[in-house]
Amino acid sequence: MLSASQSLIARFQGLDQRMSEMRDGINSQVRGQVQSINTFASQIAEMNQRIILAESGSRTQVPNDLYDQRDQMVREMNKFVRVTTVTQSDGAFNVFIGKGQPLVIGSQAYSLAAVADPADPEKFIIAMNGVGGNLLTLPESQITGGTLGGLLAFRRDSLDGAQNALGRIAITLAQNFNEQHHLGMDLTGQLGGDVFVQSTPLVRASSANNGGLGGNGQPDVVLDTTRLSELSNSDYRLSVSSSGTDFQLTRISDGAVVIPMTDFVFGGWPPAPPDDTVDGIKITFPITFPITYTPVANDSFLIQPTRAGAKNIALAITDPRSIAAAAPIRTSATLSNTGTASIDAGVVLDTTNPAFNPAFPPNFNTTGELSPPILIKFDTATTYSIWDNSVPPPPGPMASGFTYTAGAIIQFPPPGYGYEVKITGKPAANDTFTVGGNKNGVSDNRNAQLLGALQTTSTMLEAGGRATASYQSAYSQIVSEVGSKTREVKTIGAAQQGLAEHAITSMQQISGVNLDEEAANLLRYQQAYQASAKILEIATRVFDEVLALGR
Amino acid sequence: MIFDAGVRSMNTQTASLLQLQQQVASGRRILNPSDDPVNAARALEVTQSQSVIAQFSVNHNNATSSLGLEEAQLTSVTDVLARVRELTVQAGNTTLAASDRKAIAFELRARFDELVGLANATDGGGQYIFSGFMGATKPFGGSVDGILSNDPLLAMRYDGDDGQRKLQISPSRFIEVSDSGNDVFMRVRNGNNFFATAYPVDAENRITNQGTAMVDGGKVTDPAKWNALTNKNYEIQFTVDDTVSPPVTYYDLVDKSNFPNTSLLTGKPILDDYPLPSPMSGEGLRVYESGQPIVFSNLVDAPASPIPDFGISVTVMGDPAMIVDPNDPTKVKRDSFSIAPSSSQSMFGTVAKLIGALESTVEVATDGTSNGVARLSMDVGFALNNLDQSTENVLRVRAAIGSRMGEIDSTSGVNEDLTLQYQQTLSQLQDLDYAKTISDLTRKQTDLQAAQQAFVRVSQLSLFNYL
Repeated sequence: MLSASQSLIARFQGLDQRMSEMRDGINSQVRGQVQSINTFASQIAEMNQRIILAESGSRTQVPNDLYDQRDQMVREMNKFVRVTTVTQSDGAFNVFIGKGQPLVIGSQAYSLAAVADPADPEKFIIAMNGVGGNLLTLPESQITGGTLGGLLAFRRDSLDGAQNALGRIAITLAQNFNEQHHLGMDLTGQLGGDVFVQSTPLVRASSANNGGLGGNGQPDVVLDTTRLSELSNSDYRLSVSSSGTDFQLTRISDGAVVIPMTDFVFGGWPPAPPDDTVDGIKITFPITFPITYTPVANDSFLIQPTRAGAKNIALAITDPRSIAAAAPIRTSATLSNTGTASIDAGVVLDTTNPAFNPAFPPNFNTTGELSPPILIKFDTATTYSIWDNSVPPPPGPMASGFTYTAGAIIQFPPPGYGYEVKITGKPAANDTFTVGGNKNGVSDNRNAQLLGALQTTSTMLEAGGRATASYQSAYSQIVSEVGSKTREVKTIGAAQQGLAEHAITSMQQISGVNLDEEAANLLRYQQAYQASAKILEIATRVFDEVLALGR
Repeated sequence: MIFDAGVRSMNTQTASLLQLQQQVASGRRILNPSDDPVNAARALEVTQSQSVIAQFSVNHNNATSSLGLEEAQLTSVTDVLARVRELTVQAGNTTLAASDRKAIAFELRARFDELVGLANATDGGGQYIFSGFMGATKPFGGSVDGILSNDPLLAMRYDGDDGQRKLQISPSRFIEVSDSGNDVFMRVRNGNNFFATAYPVDAENRITNQGTAMVDGGKVTDPAKWNALTNKNYEIQFTVDDTVSPPVTYYDLVDKSNFPNTSLLTGKPILDDYPLPSPMSGEGLRVYESGQPIVFSNLVDAPASPIPDFGISVTVMGDPAMIVDPNDPTKVKRDSFSIAPSSSQSMFGTVAKLIGALESTVEVATDGTSNGVARLSMDVGFALNNLDQSTENVLRVRAAIGSRMGEIDSTSGVNEDLTLQYQQTLSQLQDLDYAKTISDLTRKQTDLQAAQQAFVRVSQLSLFNYL
């Protein structure tokens, strides 16, 4: 089981590594392409300059060579990003990117830059060097078409989602596995610990923030382990209002505001939104000293609950003896019972209950016994009482007078002992049943069965209050999404290819050369030339004759 | 233009040729999820189901071998019990000499050890088969002498637990592959499964009845009535009326649940005053006849016994006695037999008690007291009853094992079908139709060649060639 877990983790991390490499690759490609675009922009500006000069110099002489070269450059630039051009009266081209962001105005070229996103330093975005050296970030929606647009769209639509979805599987699997493992007992008689190291949500304070710790302070974001099935594969943006007194949370994938503007309540932190768990994460503003964040107007945070899930998952146990395959309780019907009732094996619900005494080794951890071990005694055939089954036996029951219903859960004095047992059949008065620690239960595999059942249990992708997918279905959903996207892109690509071919054909119909036509023209001019030459020859002879006459 | 268009169409053809070539080489229709996203995702899920079923097949084999091992042990247990029963019947023969009984007891001791050995059997991995979840713990400890000493510390110990190991053999079925030693060897109902009869003994385990009366195991004629009772501890007491000649023996049915004990026949407390009231017949007791069933019906409606019919009967044979208490001439001591609800008596206890009876009766018989003979007969009778219960219990477990093995067989058939089904599904989802693909490949190849040749021809056409 450990080596299988290890290879699962390796697979998660390998996939995540691939995606991170792609992300790094995109960043470096974005930088390279921005450079190329800048080069073209400055060359176009220079061409504009020469064209303006050439046109103003001689109205009759059109600088066709320069036009051609400039057209070629615009075409090349379009391969990187979609640009639009407007021809000026002086012959210059103005080149715009996106919705009218100027790249070239006459002989002036503006340059783009690839900069780290202030909200997410791992992500390079496009900015424009504005007047006075101000960097103006361009929204991704402005960068469309060409390889640059494609890279950004790929990162936005496929890579982020796929990496988050993979992380979500890793996080849910680790959590479910750990929780079930905690309910078990290992070979050495200890309660089960964590099997996997769990990832925590990433919170990135925007580099433009001012609140707390020199702008680096941040709220606490934790996974709500009871509602993990609600996790989405989106990132979130937490933003503080311009007044600095409210905040709101936006889900980036669909732009939905999941926590509307809510007041910070000073002195009464955390602000406790009506439902402080959203999509499986819980956001609180730390109130314990040292307070790491105090809100400042317009601060914002990028919250990535699942991004690092696949990267950070790790094995927490190395010793096969630490696998909690057994259940920590054991039930038994006393041999001297005269009734025909039997007790089931019980279900463990919560090993943090004091009955399991994890904090106090003298009990459970050393003797393998519950604290207290329980004796269920039937005072009559229909009522039972609960006794402490310790040695020496205590004088009286801990609770009594419960009415017996066959097959119902045996009632324990509140708050219970962290497990449930059922008795079925017909007990007789004075029959007793015991529940104790599963000491030396080395052949017990009850908890291992429950761990195995997680494979096919739906624990993810909650819809309508119910989890709808197992790990495998969630994974195949990623495959299907990416596959569909690829197919869609391929189809669109084929259609676009057709359009582009059509455009090129049209262009070549105008600018291309038909060799036959040229050859025919060549022949025609050759013959015309020959005819002219013949005329010249005849004229020469006529002149010779005339001159000879005069001699 | 001719060049661009030609190269373009040849590129397209080459690309689809490559795709076909890869499909043929790998034998799979879906090379990338984008080729068929829906089926690629389904194929993943089917693959998981397939591997889960494969694990179930492994579990089937393990379950079958565990159950087979247990079944083999239990077959031996049945054989041993049959031999013990044979010896018991033999020992019940009152004409046997003491030395013969000793010999039988000697063999019974050997059988006892054999039984303990079977109960402590281990599987191939060294795990104890009958210790529940505590596979590394030897489940049974104790000896005949320990049990006979009546010292709770030396009694037969079960150190395992009540756990039943289970294996998952289908998505919804966890099958039990073991039975706890408690269930097989310890939790055996004594008596006739509803109640057990017994004779009274003193602190030294000597029978206190003075007469030669013997009780049998009793019968339940109406289980519903017996089960409806809440208190099931009763006693049959004998009163010998010596005021008449010849003396008449009466019996009384006594409810032991309250003190002083009350009679179920008269509803009055039981008194042991002497001399007896006269005449006895006015007391409402019933006249005892040897060998006639004593039926628990037509009882008085008393608070302790609101039901007038218990649905059981017990047969007593021989002559019960009643004596005046040697220490107190105003009191009597009556012979009696007790009835208690069945509880658990281990197989080991049954055999050990029988050994004890055979070995001690040897001494009693030399006394020449007749109740020693009665005691031996009763002990043998009780032992036979308990052995039958033990055998029945082992057979019950073996029947359960058999039905589990049957279930494993049938689910393994289902799982094989499922495996085949999943394979077919998977094949439909991702396998290649070779005939179609190869014919596609050939066609594409022809197409490409045609395109190449056409391109060469067309591109060579030029007026310049003729200049």
